[in-house]
Amino acid sequence: MVAEVPLLRLEGISKSFGKVQANSEVSLSLSAGRILALLGENGAGKSTLMAILAGQLQPDDGSIVLDGEEVRFTSTEKAIGAGIGMVYQHFKLVEAMSVAENVSLGKKEGVWLRKGDMHHKVARLAEQYGMRVDPGARVGDLSMGEKQQVEILKLLHRQSRILIFDEPTAVLTPAEAENLFATMRLMAGQGKGIIFISHKLEEVMSVADDIAVLRRGRVVAAMPASAVTSTGALAECMVGREVLLQVDRQPLEPRQIVLKVAQLSDFGLGDISFELRQGEILGLVGVAGNGQKQLVETICGLRRPQDNAVRLLGLDWAQFFRNPSWERTLAYVPEDRQGLATCQGLSLLDNFLLTTSAGFTRGPWLQRGLAAEKARRLMEEFDIRPADLAAQAWQLSGGNLQKMVLAREFYRKPRLIVAEQPTQGLDIAAAEDVWKLLLEAREAAGILLVTGDLAEAMALSDHIGVMYRGRLVGLFAVDDEEKVALIPQMMAGLA
Amino acid sequence: MSAEIVIALLAATVQSGTPILFATLGEILSEKSGVLNLGVEGVMILGALVGFVVARHSGNPLLGFVAAGLVGSAATAVHGAVCLWFQGNQVVSGLALTIFGVGLANYLGTAYIGTPAPGFSPVPLPGLSELPVIGTIFFNHDPLVYVSYLVPPLLWLFLHATRYGLGLRAAGEYPGAAVAAGLDVVAYRWLGVVGGGFFMGLGGAYLSLAYTHLWTSNLTAGRGWIAVALVIFAFWRPGRAVFGAYLFGGIMALQLRLQASGAQVPSSILLMLPYALTVFVLVLSSWRKGSSDEPAALGVNVAPVD
Repeated sequence: MVAEVPLLRLEGISKSFGKVQANSEVSLSLSAGRILALLGENGAGKSTLMAILAGQLQPDDGSIVLDGEEVRFTSTEKAIGAGIGMVYQHFKLVEAMSVAENVSLGKKEGVWLRKGDMHHKVARLAEQYGMRVDPGARVGDLSMGEKQQVEILKLLHRQSRILIFDEPTAVLTPAEAENLFATMRLMAGQGKGIIFISHKLEEVMSVADDIAVLRRGRVVAAMPASAVTSTGALAECMVGREVLLQVDRQPLEPRQIVLKVAQLSDFGLGDISFELRQGEILGLVGVAGNGQKQLVETICGLRRPQDNAVRLLGLDWAQFFRNPSWERTLAYVPEDRQGLATCQGLSLLDNFLLTTSAGFTRGPWLQRGLAAEKARRLMEEFDIRPADLAAQAWQLSGGNLQKMVLAREFYRKPRLIVAEQPTQGLDIAAAEDVWKLLLEAREAAGILLVTGDLAEAMALSDHIGVMYRGRLVGLFAVDDEEKVALIPQMMAGLA
Repeated sequence: MSAEIVIALLAATVQSGTPILFATLGEILSEKSGVLNLGVEGVMILGALVGFVVARHSGNPLLGFVAAGLVGSAATAVHGAVCLWFQGNQVVSGLALTIFGVGLANYLGTAYIGTPAPGFSPVPLPGLSELPVIGTIFFNHDPLVYVSYLVPPLLWLFLHATRYGLGLRAAGEYPGAAVAAGLDVVAYRWLGVVGGGFFMGLGGAYLSLAYTHLWTSNLTAGRGWIAVALVIFAFWRPGRAVFGAYLFGGIMALQLRLQASGAQVPSSILLMLPYALTVFVLVLSSWRKGSSDEPAALGVNVAPVD
């Protein structure tokens, strides 16, 4: 490359929320006419970085350099004015308005909208970039792919020079995704700079000119796509292998089977079979979106599998979930601890009672005093701060909230635990606590640990399963070094 | 009934529908921006009183009419401050505004009960009023009725043909989209709230300056609530609001005539008719919810940007 000034440069951007370092000294460079892919797992800091670029967040440190000049975006309006446009994962479109109205929203000149003119402009722009959207159509009636095209048209209409796509293919069909990539290349060809955020390796390889990998808030690799020799190497970069913490894991004698999945093939899953025994942790790894969510939801009773595909604690799925009982129970520690696991506006006591209330009832009455006593003891045992049952869930830090969820779920002495990304977004100390708690819990239970963090899976699991495109492409003991070395390739579908 | 009586009834329909029309259009403007204002009744009665008082002391009914609109804006600005600055509950704030407005107007208005004030009288529109049937029904009224004919198309033009209307609708549909487009959502909501209050005030003033030429306690008699219901009936469209307002105007005019003609129906049943119709109309419009233009973010406050 010639020594031209890059369109956009980020220099040493850092941003932390409390103790959690979301971005740490991130430096990136985007040239005009190129597509930069930003790879990283959930929670790697991609969204924070983009929110900083879009003017929604202010960095703690570092600078943004646009066309060789340092800029500060104190509002979204400023970022828009500077030519930076975002296509958000959740579209910012008014469903009740037409395509043309959505595109014209935010226009600054004139009073009258002049419908014909508006439609004509949008139609011409769409045609220019090979899109087929009717300017008069109501946005609410469009498909996801078409809605995304409207988002892109909005940015083109504003003449944005830098377009940022946040996980754009998450909502698209494969054909729509192909269309999107074609549009992206076309836009790059016209000298626009494009940032493409994704965790899907094949997509990144097929469309990007440059690749940067983000992990735990840092850029761990940056290279032109042509320099990438294998997607396996990229996968390894993404999930990392260095162990940040050590926990002492003594294998236990595995006992009876608590979860048996046999040839489960619903919901895009392909012939998944495995067994989980009490005293054992099975770590399921893989790039997010390869069927982990469907598998977990099936096991936890949110999706119904075909008969005999899933057996829990010796019972078939339907039988198990038809007659829930206090003794025969499954504990689910979901990834979304603020939304699914807890109610943000309720006190810790009420949150504790969400899944344990059956243990504190006499007739129609709830024995809150008794529950408070137990909950208080648990808070001490699990070291949850603030140790105040009247505090509301939103007042707790991520780590304390997660410990509170674990305390609640383990209270019923479950024999099967499904833990999803249990340490995502937690600081190191809290993550270590959570790991220890999981290791202790396996005395009485079999644990299915679903994680995007390979180091976590390696540290905790007895067996490792690797998921790719809805299939379990590998299942082996954690001390099988030969197989372990192949994990990155498996995650990329190469082995 | 002879044709003459029907025509007279329809002419009365237009007149008694006019105050409801002003208020309904005001509420549509407010709700289109995403702010539910249940204070219409209170704002209307304040407008009615202020319009009457200003006209009486200045001798100029037009001045009273405009003053009523301004007072309407001022009263709804309280609602705006609660909802837009302090993120207060829109329902509670609106109810409070109604209770406050009715109470204050009745208290301040006591001295004016039974006193005269200049008002608006019918001015037949030259030419148009000569038309058979139509002329008597639509073009033989006071000037404020003619003003009310202009408001629905102008409001529609504002909402659908100007960029300000587009921004205001976006603020009521999906504030996130408006913010992403670099618009100031709170400013657009202020425009909706205060602009809507202006029309509500005008609706009130019509009652005291044209419809009755009098001030009495509880002059609005629930017309503000009817306007709130009519917004739903109108599917948030100015054009349908005209139809709805005249429907209610018709029922009100009809029950007055029936009372006057000494019909063998208890007057309380007749007085109840418009409100029974309100319930009926709401049930009816909820059946066809699909075609409604209800703003998606109606009643949802916009969190301040940090």
